[in-house]
Amino acid sequence: MIEVRGLTKQYGASRWAHGSSAVRAVDDLTFDVQPGKVTGFLGPNGAGKSTTMRMVLGLDRPTSGSALVGGRPFGRLGEPLRTAGALLDAQAMHPGRSGRDHLRVAARANGIALRRVDEVIDQVGLGPAARRRVKGYSLGMRQRLGIATAVLGDPAVLLFDEPMNGLDLDGVRWIRRLVRELADEGRTVLLSSHLMSEMEQTADHLVIIGRGRLIADASMAEVMRGESARRQVQVRTPSPDELAGALLRRQLRVHPTDIGDLLVEGASPETVGDVALEVGVAVHRLAEVHNSLEQIYLDLTGDSVQYRVAAEPQPAGQVQR
Amino acid sequence: MSAGVIAPPTAGAGTATVLGRAAGAEWVRLRTVRTTWWCLIAATVTIVGLGAIAAADEAEGTSTAANPIAATFAGEYGVLLGQFALLALAVLAVTQEYASGAIGPTLQWTPRRGVLLAARFGVVAVVVTVAGVLLALVADVLARWIDPDLTLSVGQAADSLARVAGVLLAGSVLAVGAGLLLRSTAAGLATVFLLQLVLPLLLPSFGVQWMADLGEWLPGTGAIWALLGEPSSMSAARATALLAGWSGVGLVAGGLSLLRRDAG
Repeated sequence: MIEVRGLTKQYGASRWAHGSSAVRAVDDLTFDVQPGKVTGFLGPNGAGKSTTMRMVLGLDRPTSGSALVGGRPFGRLGEPLRTAGALLDAQAMHPGRSGRDHLRVAARANGIALRRVDEVIDQVGLGPAARRRVKGYSLGMRQRLGIATAVLGDPAVLLFDEPMNGLDLDGVRWIRRLVRELADEGRTVLLSSHLMSEMEQTADHLVIIGRGRLIADASMAEVMRGESARRQVQVRTPSPDELAGALLRRQLRVHPTDIGDLLVEGASPETVGDVALEVGVAVHRLAEVHNSLEQIYLDLTGDSVQYRVAAEPQPAGQVQR
Repeated sequence: MSAGVIAPPTAGAGTATVLGRAAGAEWVRLRTVRTTWWCLIAATVTIVGLGAIAAADEAEGTSTAANPIAATFAGEYGVLLGQFALLALAVLAVTQEYASGAIGPTLQWTPRRGVLLAARFGVVAVVVTVAGVLLALVADVLARWIDPDLTLSVGQAADSLARVAGVLLAGSVLAVGAGLLLRSTAAGLATVFLLQLVLPLLLPSFGVQWMADLGEWLPGTGAIWALLGEPSSMSAARATALLAGWSGVGLVAGGLSLLRRDAG
């Protein structure tokens, strides 16, 4: 379990800097990451995800607030890899050391047997490459080595920052399975990713932040059904104009789709079906449309994006009507 | 990974155990990168090579049975220059971690920064000092072999090697401290090189009194005195104070940097 309490990180607040330049990268964050689940950590670039993870691991000092890993501050642990393993930045390794030596240093510092080093090398499929220097590794191989280090101490808590970056499809599927397994074994898994479709398939719970602040802390199901999910109903009828008119009279927003169906915003299928019955219009199909996590996420974080492209291009394949 | 079973967090190892493991990890870190071995090769070539050249030079010179000279000057001359290969090893052991970002994983594996600090200073200082003393001894023995007129008693060797050890111990602590404080290989190497050799030799040569006075306060002045006995006006106490003082400054400044600042 990870407990984050009022965690705040302010940069540029030293007494030599001007007060106005202070930036709150993380602003009073409070949330728990529960065991037995994959918790997705979402937020736009610069939202403070990595800074939060670094503070949880004691790498960066919080301006205020605290974080506990397994009930204790990570910075005081004597055998940290047995409590929590993390992959933050797969590039952050000494390029001149072999992958196996990298793991040996980690094992030595935590009193872990050398046998375990070879076990995790096999587990992540690094194989004979483990004896080569990290300098020659692809990003995918570095990710695998980083994950091997994270699971080296068989910890109850795992933090992964964008672990799917740089992996091919096989690698992505492997991570998804691994993360699932780790959570099913009862471990606490915090996983950040900007790949929404991946998150939708992998995470059980979501912590969404923007500009350093908490936007949502809810189960995947709650987020997908929530207010921001903008429930829509798609209806197919032989007389769309008549039905659209009746729906519009009830202050509902209706859009035509490019296959001739109607899309009704903010209504339940029951309401739409009742309206159709009232005006005597046949209904051939009536379906709730779930927004993708991507769409929900964009709506939730819309105000908090720090770096936005000046003019967003129209998404391909959608016709403006 | 054992399926379905998670070991409860261990009660935790004691500080002595954690420190011992951290020191072991530091040693594995040092010996698993080529940089360390390149620095040791460079130190070997410089210390033993310069010592041999000095001895060969001396063979045509002043040491006679009536007026014997100790062979230990060979190791001392060698270390005066060769220490920089060893101090570079010390600086690089620290700054390469900041250059590559490896300090992140390092602190995840040893998050108790006081423990990491002690292990890092300790292991690097021991490696540098032991390597330098051994190389100086090789240079001394080689000098004695090149010029049989030189003398090399146990007492002479012990006295000389103790001074070499003092210089390298102080220098390596200063170098690790500079690395932790500056976090940059170039800045760390330049700082150590300037303080330990260049400025102490250069400042008095301008003939300006305040520059010469300033040079008197640098760690290299103490190191040069310890190795060559120059200037003869300096006292042993002052040289010791310079070496200990500057390594103390390095220890405190570098230590606070590691303890207080974000990982980097």
